[in-house]
Amino acid sequence: MVLAILVVIWAAASKIADTPLAPGPVAVARSIAAGVRDGTIVRAFLTSAARLAVGYSLALVTGVPLGIGLARSRAVKQSLGPIVLGLSSVPSICWLPLAILWFGLSEWAIQLVVILGAALPVAVATENSVKHVPPSIERAARTMGARGARLMLTVTLPAALPGILGGAKIGWTFALRSLMAGELLFVSGGLGQLLETGRDLGDTALVLAVVVVIVALGRVSEALLFSRADRAIARRWGVESV
Amino acid sequence: MADPASAFPVPGRAGGESISLENVSLRVEAPEGMTEILRDASLRVGAGELVCLLGPSGSGKTTILNLVAGLAKPTSGVVLEGDAPVSGPGPDRAVVFQDAALFPWLTLRANVEFPLKLQRLERDARAARSEELLRMVHLWRFCDRYPHQLSGGMRQRGAMARALATDPAVLLMDEPFAALDSQTREILQGEVERIWSATHKTIIFVTHNVREAVRLADRVVLMGTRPGRILHEEIIDLPRPRAANDPRVASLANGIGRRIASEVEKVAREEADDAWTGPGGRGTGDPRRHLGGGI
Repeated sequence: MVLAILVVIWAAASKIADTPLAPGPVAVARSIAAGVRDGTIVRAFLTSAARLAVGYSLALVTGVPLGIGLARSRAVKQSLGPIVLGLSSVPSICWLPLAILWFGLSEWAIQLVVILGAALPVAVATENSVKHVPPSIERAARTMGARGARLMLTVTLPAALPGILGGAKIGWTFALRSLMAGELLFVSGGLGQLLETGRDLGDTALVLAVVVVIVALGRVSEALLFSRADRAIARRWGVESV
Repeated sequence: MADPASAFPVPGRAGGESISLENVSLRVEAPEGMTEILRDASLRVGAGELVCLLGPSGSGKTTILNLVAGLAKPTSGVVLEGDAPVSGPGPDRAVVFQDAALFPWLTLRANVEFPLKLQRLERDARAARSEELLRMVHLWRFCDRYPHQLSGGMRQRGAMARALATDPAVLLMDEPFAALDSQTREILQGEVERIWSATHKTIIFVTHNVREAVRLADRVVLMGTRPGRILHEEIIDLPRPRAANDPRVASLANGIGRRIASEVEKVAREEADDAWTGPGGRGTGDPRRHLGGGI
């Protein structure tokens, strides 16, 4: 409903402005349809989605163990803790030039940016939530004979899951942002590059069309990845503690 | 100093000692130096005996429980289970915690089955055992609920069922009912007595509630503070099952309560003196002050 009103206002505004710099919703929809028909938007979407999937998975695979290490090992905390804190304050896109120097204009360069962007919030959230697992939960498990990796996997991590999931969500948006910035800055397919193409051609409708697709990518992926997990956690933990 | 355990013969029912502490002390590093948590505690608990550790906060009663559970190691002295020193936690000594500590991501039933899973019990055997235990604590109807959907009293019953799952020889209960309202607490005390007489477990029950201790215990071990230590033991020779409002429970509890009150008052007075003498007066650093008098 609110969305419909906003679209109407948008249409009216672009009518009044009457300039190619402010295309209305119809023009943008037409641009999306054209992009889907000739495959440019579809290809760009698939390229970006695949990069996100790979980069984000690698970010989880590195971020969660790093967070566990930070929470549980003095050595890890003292050696890597300051680095993680320092890196978190740098927007990950700043690493792109270095990544290009290392890996050239390759997938690895852009993946490094995505992974750095997403893994750090995941690691920080994992560290915090592992630290805040109620001690009696782990003590109870130890009295039942759980130890070591088994204790971590079957008790500590499940107990920390709500917090880790929060970090995973932040990591997801960071991954998406880093990826778009990376694709804007160097040419290699993907939605970011399509944005850049739109600018080169002065095709405002295409630029807005790609923005709409990026919003859709973010919303849909979040719904697919996180809303079920959110509901499961709300059901188990009770709503008040989420 | 006379060994309190030898002065008071153990009324263990099944015979033999289940748990013994011999001259156990625990000191930990604190910001202001080494702090003595427990001093020279000796205690023998017979197999099948129900012993209550009773004392104010800081008297080391939970520490004793942690030492027996294997969650803490003594600085000196030994903790034995039977003839073997306790080297770490194990499913033969189950603990019920004050906050129940049920796992929030598991249903009640899955919580009870968790320790059985760790013991690699088959699915059918786990299901049968968890049903039996949940029926025993009257929670079978709620087996598919998550802990946040249960009341505090139900969570503690669930925690008892989980603790009993591996059929431990010793059940350690750490102020399990302290956070409950008094009606629920009395009902659960009855449950503990019932489960105890049905299963013949050795139970060490920590509480700061005098009536709870007197109602449940074969023997009450009184503990004092600064440092935490065992002061005195009292055998409770009342017939069972005991009612919560039994006047004999009340009168014994009154007597023990007065002893504790004087101990707490003494500590409070010392703390007040500290506050009034201030710097230059009797410093808090003198360890002799913390000895306290025997009662």
